[in-house]
Amino acid sequence: MPRSLGITSLQILGAIRDNSPYGLEIVTRTGLASGTVYPTLGRLKRSGLIKARWEDQRAAEREGRPRRRYYELTADGQHSLVEGASRVATLAAELSSVAVGGAG
Amino acid sequence: MTSVVARLVIRVAGLFVPWGRRTEWREEWQGELAALEHERAQGAAGLPGMLAYALGAVPHALWMRREGWTMDSILQDLRFSTRVLLRSPGFTLVAALTLALGIGANASIFSLVNGLLFRSPAGIHEPGRLVQIARSYESAPRWDRFSWPAMELIREESRAFSGVAGYSGRAFVVGRGTETQQVPGQFVTGDYFEVLGVQPALGRLLQPTDDVNPGEHSVVVLSHSLWANRFGSDPSIVGSTIPIGAKPYEIIGVAPQGFAGPESVGTPPAIWVPGAQRPGFNGQTPFDQWGWSWIQVVGRLNDGVSFEQAEASMGVVSSRLREASTINKDMLVLLAQGVGLDPRDRAEAKQISIILALIVGVVLLLTCTNVANLFLARAASRRGEVAVRMALGAGRGRLARQLITESVLLGLVATAIATPIVLAADSFLPKLFPYSLNVSVGADWRVLTFLVAVGIGAGLLFGAAPAWASSRSDVREALREGGSTGGRRKTRLRDILVISQLALSLGLVAGAALLGRSVLNARSAQPGFEPAGLVVGYVDLQPTGRYDEELGRMLWDRMVVAATQLPGVENATVAGQAPIVGGHSRATVRPAGRDDVDYEAEYTVVGANYFETLRIPILRGRALGGLADEPERVVVVNNALARMFWPGEDPIGKELAGDPGWRVVGVAQDVQMRSLRRAGQPGVYYPLSQAYGSGMALHIRGENGHAIEPALLRGMVAELDPELPVATVVDLHEGLTASMGETRTIGYLVAAFAVLALVLAAVGLYGLVSYGASERVREMGIRIALGARPESLVKLVLTRGITISMLGIGAGLVVSYGLGKALEGLLFGVAPADFATLGAASVTLFVTAGFAAWLPARRASRVDAAVSLRE
Repeated sequence: MPRSLGITSLQILGAIRDNSPYGLEIVTRTGLASGTVYPTLGRLKRSGLIKARWEDQRAAEREGRPRRRYYELTADGQHSLVEGASRVATLAAELSSVAVGGAG
Repeated sequence: MTSVVARLVIRVAGLFVPWGRRTEWREEWQGELAALEHERAQGAAGLPGMLAYALGAVPHALWMRREGWTMDSILQDLRFSTRVLLRSPGFTLVAALTLALGIGANASIFSLVNGLLFRSPAGIHEPGRLVQIARSYESAPRWDRFSWPAMELIREESRAFSGVAGYSGRAFVVGRGTETQQVPGQFVTGDYFEVLGVQPALGRLLQPTDDVNPGEHSVVVLSHSLWANRFGSDPSIVGSTIPIGAKPYEIIGVAPQGFAGPESVGTPPAIWVPGAQRPGFNGQTPFDQWGWSWIQVVGRLNDGVSFEQAEASMGVVSSRLREASTINKDMLVLLAQGVGLDPRDRAEAKQISIILALIVGVVLLLTCTNVANLFLARAASRRGEVAVRMALGAGRGRLARQLITESVLLGLVATAIATPIVLAADSFLPKLFPYSLNVSVGADWRVLTFLVAVGIGAGLLFGAAPAWASSRSDVREALREGGSTGGRRKTRLRDILVISQLALSLGLVAGAALLGRSVLNARSAQPGFEPAGLVVGYVDLQPTGRYDEELGRMLWDRMVVAATQLPGVENATVAGQAPIVGGHSRATVRPAGRDDVDYEAEYTVVGANYFETLRIPILRGRALGGLADEPERVVVVNNALARMFWPGEDPIGKELAGDPGWRVVGVAQDVQMRSLRRAGQPGVYYPLSQAYGSGMALHIRGENGHAIEPALLRGMVAELDPELPVATVVDLHEGLTASMGETRTIGYLVAAFAVLALVLAAVGLYGLVSYGASERVREMGIRIALGARPESLVKLVLTRGITISMLGIGAGLVVSYGLGKALEGLLFGVAPADFATLGAASVTLFVTAGFAAWLPARRASRVDAAVSLRE
């Protein structure tokens, strides 16, 4: 059982699920620093939540640039994302009720 | 640019990635960077900055290196380091200030180098598209100016340039009567400002229609500073006239602030006058003379033409020049990209930069060793803490990393302290530099990057030794000793650091001594004439407008007589140029009837008594006389010219080409006209009766080597003609010292650093010896109790200090030799490994070190046996 995921990891997993499979797209979409995103991708890969593949060499050559590495969720990753998201939602609900209670 | 830097970041960061995964890692990053570049080019919004993005590769690489090394642990190290540094603020402050000195010195010198080598003079549009054009010869490579017709031919023949402009510096006399002022200025072609891409601050600048019909368009452009200083920035100045030389000139505009022409170094021009205004000489105008080379030429590359293409096209231009005149027979046209420094000056600037970098590099090393020493001393007292952390399971690597973090943090604090100094470099560096600078030496991104890199580098450098020492310490031993004393190994490391400090100081002391001796030697130099007691005043007849050649000659002759009659004067003369201090002129000469050799020789028009007054020995034949004595076209040549044109023959009676030719009547000894470091160049002396100059240098030799007062000279000239301005009066003896400007400036710099280095080294040695002595307090007490005499104890402690000093001096001699070699180009009359200088420097160091070691030794000998044993 992997330890529960932090917000940053969830954001990144979410970005990959929402069709942003490259590092640059994840950085742009999440607004996180590249220095945060890449090590986190490494950690997620090591925990088996995502896997990395190389883009097709010919596709890259056609556009005259080096090939890129893209990431996709594993089944574990999908599971963790759903679980993490609900945990965060619960937490958010609790926190807001605390906030409301505090205010009232 | 940023993409290059970004790629560099990836390359460097990649070095941290474990070998097996590096290729893949780099490929991913390169792929993403390429994608980012692509999308930016497409104008996509919301993208991260190129460099900011690439910098993310650094933590990624470090994470790869050690997956556990997270931002958290770095922060933890940082927090801990900050606490440690704040715990002993005095220590931190001293260490940071010491480091700031080394870092500040390095970054300041780098901003100077940056300005000289990488920046272009102010106010010029796209300086990278400008090209310097120079004259050379297949048989005799050089980098030289062109004649007017040659410049015009280049302009017409070359398709590579959208414009070709010329300029020539000269001193102008501006104003009348008491308002008279001599200012540096330039004759420039009409398209000069257009080619350089300069916009006026006021009015208009020169244009090609101003530069036609020699002598007709008397118009002038003022520099911004002349406009501000002399005319109080009067906005209605345009359209008014000022007298320049003999004629009134209409002011048509003011150049933008900071614009000083295309040269990075040199007196900035105060006025610009059309080249067509240049007066003739000996009845000839300069505009059809292939032999008069006086114009420096720059071109702007045509759109789409690369520098290489322009260079390739110069072959055709060269052959056109050769066809145009026999004087140009094997002429070559050379190009250099950009403006600022010509290739020779660039090479010289590089050489000086290397010397300066070396000196400040030594200073940085010195401050680093000093701080490393402080850290080591403190590490001794932190052994307990370190040992406890190790016993609790901290890895050696982790501990070393903590220490490195601490030292890098200190390096950054020092960088922050040094930053204001570096930002102010713009105001103090130009004062240190012996020439006036026309480029900004202020901080830019290159300087700031360098500053931070040096700061971090210094932190790593001085942190390495303590970190290494700590990571090797033995837990059990440290715990047993209770953290009170250091081990032998650490002491040895401190020995090495103090030895290097002493060695580096000796290098600086010896370097300062070599430079100092060079400046002193320059004062007693024998440059081919006798400088002591010689005073030179520049007088220009043009501003009065009342002297033609004949009247001018008569005035010069009268001036020589009047000067000779002044009290305390031994001899006097006039000449077209003065040695070393300036006013140089050269002209191409060749033997009559021969085409095989010519040379651009020193060209000096001289009045009566010239050789006697300057005490230049006549080797053969006779000297030149006054107006009445020289009815024929005769010359005196110097030895270098005689040997070049008539090797192995008697030059007396030979002729130089001319119409009619110039007969050689004497051979003079060579004189170092330009610089003490350059041997005498071939030169020709023309009698005033046969040649003429409207501006001459009055040379006056005082009796018994005592120079006369400048006021006496000025008064004498004013008596002859109250309207004649004497621009400047120079004591040639002083001038020789001034000509060693770089040597003197760098000498002061090195001397200041040497004093500092000595103090640092002495403090280091003092600390080391007293530490050693304090460790042996018990032993001392026992010895005293057993009846040892204080002297023998002093000797015991001192021996260690002396041994270390000797080792330091030994290593220092090697450093001194290396530094001396690097300084060789600045030295004069002293060898880089001069025995006496190195000896004296060693003695200085030895005495200082001895004193530093003696103080703790004396204290140790006064140990109270009872007290020390009880402890």
